[in-house]
Amino acid sequence: MKNEGVLWKILRLSVRGMTMLLLLAMLVPLAIIVILSLSDQSYLSFPPTAYSFRWYRSFLANSDYQSAIINSLTIGVSAAFLATVAGTLVAIAVIRGAIPGKNLLSTLMMAPAILPQIILAIGLYPISVLLSLNGTYWAVILAHAAVSIPFPFIAVCGALQGYSDRIEYAAMSLGASPRQTFRHITLPMIGASVFSGFVFALAFSIDELVLAIFLTSPSTRTLPLLLWQQLNYQVTPEIAAAATALLTFTLLLILSATIVRRFSQQKYKVSGA
Amino acid sequence: MGGHLEKRRSRGLNGHLWLLLPAALLILPFFVWPSVLIIGKSFSGDTGPFEQYRIVFANPGIRTVLAYTFYVSAVVTGITLVIGYPVAFVVTHLPKKIAAICVALIFLPFWVSTVIRTFAWMIILARKGPLNESLLAIGILSQPLRLLDNGVGMILAMVYIQIPFMVIPLINTMRTIDPSYMRAAAILGANPFSQIVRVYFPLSLPGAMVGSILVFISSLGFFVTPSLLGGSRTMLSILINQQASRLLNWPLASALATVALVLTAALFLIYKMVRRAAATSGGIA
Amino acid sequence: MMMGIGKIKAGCAVAIRELTKEYYPIVAVAPTSVDVASGGFFAIIGPSGSGKSTLLGILAGYVQPTAGRVEVNGKDILSEPMYRRNIGMVFQNYALFPHMTVAENIAFPLKMRGLQKAQVTERVRQSLAMVRLEQYRDRKPGMLSGGQQQRVALARAAIYQPSLLLMDEPLGALDKNLRDEMQEEIKRFQQELGITVIYVTHDQQEAAFLADRIGIMKDGAMVQIGTPRELYERPTSRFVAGFLGEASVFAITGLSAGSEASATIEGGLSMRINPANAARGGKYVCIRPENVMIGQEAARLPNVYEGVITESLYTAGSVRYRITAPAGQSLVSRALPHTGFQLYETGRTVKFGWSPDDVCVIN
Repeated sequence: MKNEGVLWKILRLSVRGMTMLLLLAMLVPLAIIVILSLSDQSYLSFPPTAYSFRWYRSFLANSDYQSAIINSLTIGVSAAFLATVAGTLVAIAVIRGAIPGKNLLSTLMMAPAILPQIILAIGLYPISVLLSLNGTYWAVILAHAAVSIPFPFIAVCGALQGYSDRIEYAAMSLGASPRQTFRHITLPMIGASVFSGFVFALAFSIDELVLAIFLTSPSTRTLPLLLWQQLNYQVTPEIAAAATALLTFTLLLILSATIVRRFSQQKYKVSGA
Repeated sequence: MGGHLEKRRSRGLNGHLWLLLPAALLILPFFVWPSVLIIGKSFSGDTGPFEQYRIVFANPGIRTVLAYTFYVSAVVTGITLVIGYPVAFVVTHLPKKIAAICVALIFLPFWVSTVIRTFAWMIILARKGPLNESLLAIGILSQPLRLLDNGVGMILAMVYIQIPFMVIPLINTMRTIDPSYMRAAAILGANPFSQIVRVYFPLSLPGAMVGSILVFISSLGFFVTPSLLGGSRTMLSILINQQASRLLNWPLASALATVALVLTAALFLIYKMVRRAAATSGGIA
Repeated sequence: MMMGIGKIKAGCAVAIRELTKEYYPIVAVAPTSVDVASGGFFAIIGPSGSGKSTLLGILAGYVQPTAGRVEVNGKDILSEPMYRRNIGMVFQNYALFPHMTVAENIAFPLKMRGLQKAQVTERVRQSLAMVRLEQYRDRKPGMLSGGQQQRVALARAAIYQPSLLLMDEPLGALDKNLRDEMQEEIKRFQQELGITVIYVTHDQQEAAFLADRIGIMKDGAMVQIGTPRELYERPTSRFVAGFLGEASVFAITGLSAGSEASATIEGGLSMRINPANAARGGKYVCIRPENVMIGQEAARLPNVYEGVITESLYTAGSVRYRITAPAGQSLVSRALPHTGFQLYETGRTVKFGWSPDDVCVIN
């Protein structure tokens, strides 16, 4: 009996140890890219024998990268804005509204996140030609907006489910019109989630490749697409530098959303939820 | 009755159908229309509406691709489950704050572009990459392993990318398992092994199902990783891309895409059913 | 102490007529009519799912009725949107706005009514003094105790001097001692303001303490309305008899009216009953435990029997006996211990009985 206990303890500790190792291993690929971006060599080899910022300088001076970054930000912010407006309003309708077919509606809102993007991409290509959007910013912006609706939708649904609709009824019983209720009660309560939905949608758009392959022209080429083309063409540590920049930007975005959400959760301890 | 419903819709915060308008303007033309378009186009052909599907299911090359796509997805799902289950178990039972950090660690790579993550694996798995080098240095290997271009590297990278989709639903389900079940089993005479196998595992199955379906669905449609690490063997997404953009055979590409769409929709339906069953069957105490 | 808000001109009279709510095919509220007098305190009690909160929701305006009317001081309110009804409501779990401070919560209705800032500040100050929460004015509701939150909810619902206050299980989240304390506070509050209150609870003691009239709901229907005393002493149904307090209920097998009215119950036991009660007719007789006398007190009563004490339970303040008659009927008796009081042990054979006036004939 006593031996059995020791055996279990060992097993438990080893499973726990392996888990921790695995969690750290999740970060190894990212670390390797960061290290590689600091290489002083002109070809890819790991680990680098000498370190410098030369590939960052070259990346920053590269006009292809410059325009790709500007394109990615333009497309990302616009798409995330549209997705956030649309996703937030649907979430309010689904959680608080009296509309038929809520289940079907939320499934439809989730579907773009599930469908392989290649399917959407080959379906959207002829449509963008038909609407003469092909090669314009709008082609990618609208496609990204449609596909990233699930992020704000899920975030805002969560926030609305996090507090009772009695809070809104209370505001109305106290004399607030529907518009005042939205402005003074609903919006402050879901604000942090709207923001994090926006950030997640932005992060999605900035990382998205497949739709960008089909819907961009050389003038609207995004950063992931440029990286992709470079990977298929010539591989230098400059890619690692660009990847590190993209990685840092995305993680900062996610971090900001996390902090805002954490902060607002502490601020409003919802009573009796 | 109907009159009252209308009255209700026009009042208060409730039921303003206009709330759906912006989403409809995005989802209908840029999600529903392309899906319908693909399905429509897949039934076009010179010899009849099912010409493309005859090709899809008769052409040995395409059948091989379909089979390989299923094989890879199944293997990735299996490995992810075997790795993800103990990880989720450990993380679930850590103190709250440490668990939050672990979940953040699991999710962190998820937010990094698939292109970048695949690129990292290209480096790691290279013939003279860090993995081979360190295994050689320790002496486990006498000569470098060939990991790229034969599917092994692709599966490894896909497992890495899919881990969050498996672990998060598992953790969510495991969190709802009341520890008193385990204590009850213990006091009824179950040893730790039986406690886990007979009590914990069955209760955590819905999470494992949900995670597995998610990983499987998303693996079916993988594009970036198979393109960069897959070598000569082709997965469905790559085939669709080749047919559409290189060979300009849109009807065949559409038929392949429809097959993927139907499979995904069917799996998603199962996913919804599993989740609903888990929610109603005392999963939430 | 209640000067802060000032006496409300007059509580309003509420007339509920044939109010109905169907969620097809479920009837949440069957056609219900209730009158609440101006300044009255009306409590609605019933088990969960009996439709009491739905009824309150219709009055407040967040549930739309299928049919019926609600008049406040003679004016139909159902066509008004919620925010123009000027009704105060204390919600279940209070529904305080978690992102606003206590003061901001209380000021909210005044701001919505477009009051001047100085006026708002002054009224909020008075209101906070009234509920003794001055030092918490800048706290968020999440940092208050349950009782404090309850007081904020009350202050917020009353600051705009509504003539009708709705309360949905306002004390449900509090523990026993605090609940007793808050009951007193609510009663004083209502009496000093002269406001009309409609109060939903599942706690019959709370209802009896607070209300001057009570309506009992079951399966969406109001089964009986009356003063607490009427409901307890003259229940009209088995449900009400069992829901309010304890009762021994027996099925009637024979009933004879007239001046010598009597009823025979299952097992053949026969008893004299009040002719007026017999005239109403019914399926059961119901006898309250404190009306069942034991020993010498029973001997002089017209209905007297002999039975065995099968259970004797001494609790704080009262003794509860279960007596079993030879034919098998089992009934409950309650006595108040006092000086020189005799406690009967289990197993003892005793005389027991009750007055014909204490037998209710119910359905």
